[in-house]
Amino acid sequence: MLKIAIVGCGKIADSHASQIQRIPGCEIIGACDREELMARQLAERFHIKRHYGHLDALLSDVRPDIVHITTPPQSHFEIGRLCLEAGCHIYVEKPFTINAAETEELITLADRKGLKLTVGTDEQFSEVARRMRRLVHAGYLGGPPIHIESTWCYELGDSAYTRALLGDKQHWARTLPGGLLHNTISHGVAKIAEYLPGESPQVVAHGFVSPFLKGLGENDLIDELRVIMQAERGTTAYFTFSSQMRPALHEFRLFGPKNGLAFDEDQQWLIKLRGDRFKSYAEKFLPQASFAKQYSWSFFRNARLFLARDFHLNSGKRHLIGEFYRSINDGTPVPIAYREILLTSRIMDAIFGQISAKSHSISDVRITA
Amino acid sequence: MDIISLVLGEDATMDHGIVTSDDPILVSGAAGFLGPSVVGNLLDKGFRRIRCLARPTSNLARLNKEIDLRHGAGRADIVTGSLLSREDCVRLVKDVPLIYHLAAGGGTKAFSDAFLNSVVTTRNFLEAAIEHHSLRRFVNVSSFAVYTNRKKPQWRLLDETCPVEEHAESRAEAYCYGKVKQDELVIEYGQKHAVPYVIVRPGNVYGPGKDFIPGRVGIDSFGFYLHFGGANPIPFTHLNNCADAIVLAGLKPGIEGEVFNVVDDDLPSSRRYLRLYKRNVRSFKSVYIPHALSYLFCYVWEKYSKWSYGQLPPVYTRREWAASWKKTHYSNNKIKDKLGWKPSVPTSEGLRTYFESCREARNERA
Repeated sequence: MLKIAIVGCGKIADSHASQIQRIPGCEIIGACDREELMARQLAERFHIKRHYGHLDALLSDVRPDIVHITTPPQSHFEIGRLCLEAGCHIYVEKPFTINAAETEELITLADRKGLKLTVGTDEQFSEVARRMRRLVHAGYLGGPPIHIESTWCYELGDSAYTRALLGDKQHWARTLPGGLLHNTISHGVAKIAEYLPGESPQVVAHGFVSPFLKGLGENDLIDELRVIMQAERGTTAYFTFSSQMRPALHEFRLFGPKNGLAFDEDQQWLIKLRGDRFKSYAEKFLPQASFAKQYSWSFFRNARLFLARDFHLNSGKRHLIGEFYRSINDGTPVPIAYREILLTSRIMDAIFGQISAKSHSISDVRITA
Repeated sequence: MDIISLVLGEDATMDHGIVTSDDPILVSGAAGFLGPSVVGNLLDKGFRRIRCLARPTSNLARLNKEIDLRHGAGRADIVTGSLLSREDCVRLVKDVPLIYHLAAGGGTKAFSDAFLNSVVTTRNFLEAAIEHHSLRRFVNVSSFAVYTNRKKPQWRLLDETCPVEEHAESRAEAYCYGKVKQDELVIEYGQKHAVPYVIVRPGNVYGPGKDFIPGRVGIDSFGFYLHFGGANPIPFTHLNNCADAIVLAGLKPGIEGEVFNVVDDDLPSSRRYLRLYKRNVRSFKSVYIPHALSYLFCYVWEKYSKWSYGQLPPVYTRREWAASWKKTHYSNNKIKDKLGWKPSVPTSEGLRTYFESCREARNERA
């Protein structure tokens, strides 16, 4: 039985606790938050036996096998380091750390200690993302990816998070190197990192404050981002982040030398994009029929999964956690390769290095591995 | 200048039982929906040192309006701070004998957020008050949402003797969870640290500035309005009536540890309220669901949610049905008897002006 602990008992800890409790062979044995009342409320609601206000006490008392770190990103590195030093595997909420240097250090430490780690970019493990991975591995693209497009939107509505973020100049998300973007784009960037070869892509980023935020008197918080990347072997990628475009897409497209694939995270469809063209007028009619068939198939697939109780909104998280635990129990590879975690951090570093609220200029920086 | 000062002279000090008109009074959540009315009520009673606590991000328009209306500048000061900061709390409650704690962690579906903004903030407040040794009354503003409405001693009647939710986490309503835990904390501090508290639990507070149909009337989660309330009375209390009740709870001696429900007289039924709202504010289609069917709906939803490991979240459950849609009558006898409170705004008049304000706000937006 794997002993699990959760450090950081805010909103995201709820979804960790509820998904962990659905995975057989593990038990949450401790919750920790520097505000002990918060640790107590999580422990009460999820029937966790012990709760703590200090990490040291948690690590020494319950000696967990795995620690889920669900604190604000600024503290991920230090908490992760302490947990690894104490002999615990770590599952770190996204973004993994606040820069690539910290990411590299944690990975090195985990390797040295013979421990494992992963990052909570769980949308890489949604049903459609997993299906895309299987198709890519089966060779559907016809070779290595030629081009990748990831669109990741975040609606700045009237949520408590948005109100707090806009209203509080000291909000923790503002103090991250990438501000609001730092806490939101890693899902979309991580998907690119999975398929983008190499370790040092060229990154060109342009970020700006949307007219919507400017209208609210906000001039510092960059909420629009466009990025172009090119890997050493020529594979390119576009990344779009927007708080304003509608529909607020969470879409991913992957193009190979022969075929392409696309999925939508919200609507959970995956479409095969056929590379061959039909002859003459057939090209004007038959692809539509093929798309209609694929969308219909997605509808029935989703309905079947729903009826089979396997269509949860957080299913990606459960699969990622499950695979991470399996990698620890069975000695199999970690679900997210360390190369991807590091590459995601490096791409984010490059993006945040180029954008600032003061100068919305476009520059060009090559990452050095 | 207020009437009392005019009669007794501007510098006369009034003894209000727990405090005098010269004692500092702190109102948290002063820029919220209820806050400005509470501050206005305190100014009307002649208090001269009111600290109005607002978040740095709060819209202060309504609060300023209430203060300006009574020429209260200098008697009511707006101070900003965060109740999540212990340092802020210590600074804010210094020498304060009376605290009206209205700030709440509403507007969130996350239990942890509701807890943080209701319980942790209240704990910080109470700790700071204990540190200063000046507190004579802590008025904790709670809500009807904390009542379970199941296994009541008097079947259909909901009053202060009714049990609160033992397992508030099962209600799938973060606000309810936060408020139940906040009340528990205040009672715990009352017992362990002799904090002199009074708990006030308003029903559905309505009035200008909040255009809403209470969840007790029905739901519009599926793109059309399902009317669940039927003939049930809706426990409304007008903003000014509620503010008056809250202020009285801070001033009356000898009621430490008491709980008071606040609900007006002549409550409209859910059906009548919905009809009036549609006629006076905006028209829309609604479908009435009889109680037996709404209960069945909640029962099936709850069972499915459990069977599917939360594929549908447990938002409609039998607990929720009992709390929101079970036929219930409400009593305001205790607050009338012990505090001498009576609703100064009759429900008919309150609803008329309320609908008028909703119409005006909609016209302005249009």
